Amino acid sequence: MLMWTKVIIIAAAVTVLIIAASLAYFRYFTKTRLLVSTTTSLYETGLLNATERAFEAKYSIDLGFLPVGTGQAIQQAQGGNVDALLVHSPSNETQFLQEGDGVCRKIIAYNFFTIVGPRSDPAGINGMDAMGAFKKIVDYGRNHTGRMWVSRGDSSGTHTKEKSLWAKAGYSYTQISMESWYASAGSGMSATLNMANEFGSYTLSDIGTYLKLSKDGTISLVAFITETKELLNVYSVIAVNQTRHPNVNFTNAITFIKFLISDECQQLIDNYGKSEYGQSLFRSAVQLLMPNSTSQIVQWIKDYAFINGTECPSEYRDNRYPELYN
Amino acid sequence: MEILDGLIKALQLIFSGDPRILEITLRSLFVSGSATVIAALWGIPIATILGLKNFRGRFLVKTIFNSLIGIPTVALGFFLFLIFSREKGPLGFLGLLYTPTAIIIGEAILVAPIIVSLAASAIEAVDPEIANLAKTLGASEAQASFAVLREALDGIFLAGIASFNRAIGELGVAVFVGGFIAGVTELLTTGIKLEIDSNNIDVAIALAIILLTLVFGINLALNLIQRRKK
Amino acid sequence: MSFAAELRNVTKNFDGITALDGVNLKIQAGEILALLGPNGSGKTTLLKILAFIEKPSKGEVHFLGDKVTEKNFEKKRMESTMVFQKTILFSTTVYNNVAYGLKMRKMSKNRIDEEVSKILRLVKLDGFEKRNAKKLSGGERQRVALARALTLNTKLLLLDEPTANLDPKTASIVEEVIATANRELKTTIVMATHNMFQAKNLPHRIALIKDGKIGEVGAPTEIFRNLSKTLASFAALENTFNGTAKVTENGITSVDIGNGLQIETTAKQRGTVSVFVSPEDIILSKNRFDSSAKNIYKGKIIEISDLGSLVRLKVDVGKPFAVQITKRSFNEMALNLNTEVFLTFKASSVQII
Repeated sequence: MLMWTKVIIIAAAVTVLIIAASLAYFRYFTKTRLLVSTTTSLYETGLLNATERAFEAKYSIDLGFLPVGTGQAIQQAQGGNVDALLVHSPSNETQFLQEGDGVCRKIIAYNFFTIVGPRSDPAGINGMDAMGAFKKIVDYGRNHTGRMWVSRGDSSGTHTKEKSLWAKAGYSYTQISMESWYASAGSGMSATLNMANEFGSYTLSDIGTYLKLSKDGTISLVAFITETKELLNVYSVIAVNQTRHPNVNFTNAITFIKFLISDECQQLIDNYGKSEYGQSLFRSAVQLLMPNSTSQIVQWIKDYAFINGTECPSEYRDNRYPELYN
Repeated sequence: MEILDGLIKALQLIFSGDPRILEITLRSLFVSGSATVIAALWGIPIATILGLKNFRGRFLVKTIFNSLIGIPTVALGFFLFLIFSREKGPLGFLGLLYTPTAIIIGEAILVAPIIVSLAASAIEAVDPEIANLAKTLGASEAQASFAVLREALDGIFLAGIASFNRAIGELGVAVFVGGFIAGVTELLTTGIKLEIDSNNIDVAIALAIILLTLVFGINLALNLIQRRKK
Repeated sequence: MSFAAELRNVTKNFDGITALDGVNLKIQAGEILALLGPNGSGKTTLLKILAFIEKPSKGEVHFLGDKVTEKNFEKKRMESTMVFQKTILFSTTVYNNVAYGLKMRKMSKNRIDEEVSKILRLVKLDGFEKRNAKKLSGGERQRVALARALTLNTKLLLLDEPTANLDPKTASIVEEVIATANRELKTTIVMATHNMFQAKNLPHRIALIKDGKIGEVGAPTEIFRNLSKTLASFAALENTFNGTAKVTENGITSVDIGNGLQIETTAKQRGTVSVFVSPEDIILSKNRFDSSAKNIYKGKIIEISDLGSLVRLKVDVGKPFAVQITKRSFNEMALNLNTEVFLTFKASSVQII
């Protein structure tokens, strides 16, 4: 049937045309693409947008971030769907490296988590250390009605941190999370903070997101405890292992890592948010971790985020890029 | 209070022609528009066969398309995600995951049943003797089919509009195969989610306003055209 | 005389129904041939086969000297066109409807404009080009369909019940157009009808068709002369009844058509006859009234058909009679199914055929 042949040809031709146009539109054919899966908290502060702009100004690589939360981010990396990982959960990162999916880990920044709560501080945690605060919150929650604590409840780095803190304070997480005063948001940091604000509860937040929402006037929670050893929050970048996942954009991932640890980017990180929030939301880590550094924080970082005494054990390094580690 | 505040800021953003919002809107229009066009290119010929020719199993095919109309977008999105996954998916090697192209393909698949079903109904509703009429006036088989299509144009147009509406307002496919990578695959729908998460309420509201305006506007225009025809 | 078309032993089956059964028919070039038969006799199918939009299940069709095969089927279609019983129009302007076939033949726009206005003048629809075809009255629509077919100037024109459902004025326009087209353009015309009156005056020849078979074929006078027996089987034709004629004492001819009905007629005949009364000659009233008309019958309305400005009714006075009245009268008399009415018509209106 000649007519039908014509119809099929036209349909196919226009389809190909549109697809090609869409591909050209985001430079599928011209620019190389780098996909980095990352945490929502890093993204929500806007730091990654700033980083992307700086990176793309310097390199003609199309950088894209997939802000899906630590758990999902690691899954995407394991599937080889992204080229690099930028998260803040050392335990999960270790497992990621051990399973052979990642190489060349570099710690690039840190800040602190903070336990925030209503201005009235019903549980009276002000002035306590993290462990003490937790115990107080549990006591108050068990003896009063209402939600006292909101958890992220997703597989994020923040949630992982929260779980480790409960364990450290001597509670069984599975048991505690079932008690009536414990609420689980199952969402990102902004949503969780908003929920805590609504309920008048306490929650664990990274300092960046908290400051942003606080300044915007969205929440009226107060940061009671921060900058203690237990509340340390360390961000690392890992390239997806090319041997295991041959289709990833490895060379560009390395370029990205090198950019992150460069002076330019480290300064960007240090300055981010200073003018807007009165303090930096993040602090650079590379200079800090140089061999002759002495500050107390270094020891904390080493204790919390190092693997076998180093930020990246040699078996997970790529020998072609020794310059990453001096 | 905060919502009102956000609303005002959103309107300011829209009317000042904020580039980010413009970019997201145009991308949404381009992606969903392309998806609708592709679905129509393949769907209308299929609908013509379904509407005109009586073959065995016609009822079954029509029923299948009808039921596919309501496919949950998350299910389709997730399924396509598995297909486009770089390593495990059969089409992974194309490297289309997290690209607007993948969203176009996904949405085209999503709305194709709508076009086929509605267009086939419209074509069926055309007086069956129209084809004979065209032929007796000198039309070939092909030209006669076109005459029928022209009579069904109203219904086919409706099918296209309904498809575009569904495409531009859906979230499941866009999320799973597009991600919501700012500057690349962020659409009106995924954008709302992303911006709310990032606590940019005003941007989120702005996107929502645009999306609703588009959908309502299209429906309004449609109803006006229908009324004028009567 | 050459044959424009010929059907040789044509049979057509649809879904187990035999619409045409071994039909042999020769159509002479330049003639008007009427296919006369009741509904369901296969008239439409036969026309469609001659229009080349249906293919015979068995048998051959010859057209303009060639046998029609798969190969030349579509080409032959260009020389034959059909106007359907139920008017079908494209959802567009009158111009686009009429021009459709011309566009198919790749005529230039200027010529199309000319032809369209010429043909619209012929069917008395001057200036209707820009009107929406679907919004016209029934009679106007049928004329558009006719114009659309005529303008193609095909060798063969097929008309399916061209004046059924038309008011008398439009019907006469249509009949005049048909006659003109045949006379001046030498178009061979085959028309299906069940209107005996039309069949008597318009065509050169009549072919009787029933149950998919062709009966007698011949000139109208021949057919109607020896027709009583065959006519008896065409009982479904409107206002035509078979009966026995007798001349009464007063010298009036009275025809007994059964069920106690005696029709008075001025025609002089005796024995078995068929009588016909035109619907337009029958007066409908709700009350019996005195007049010079000799035929007065009481009955009930059993069928109502809306023809726009006219209403066609079927009244059962013992036998069903078709009557035509204006819509206005219909409304004013508040008529409905089962309304009791009187039919009155003059003896001179009764024709013996």
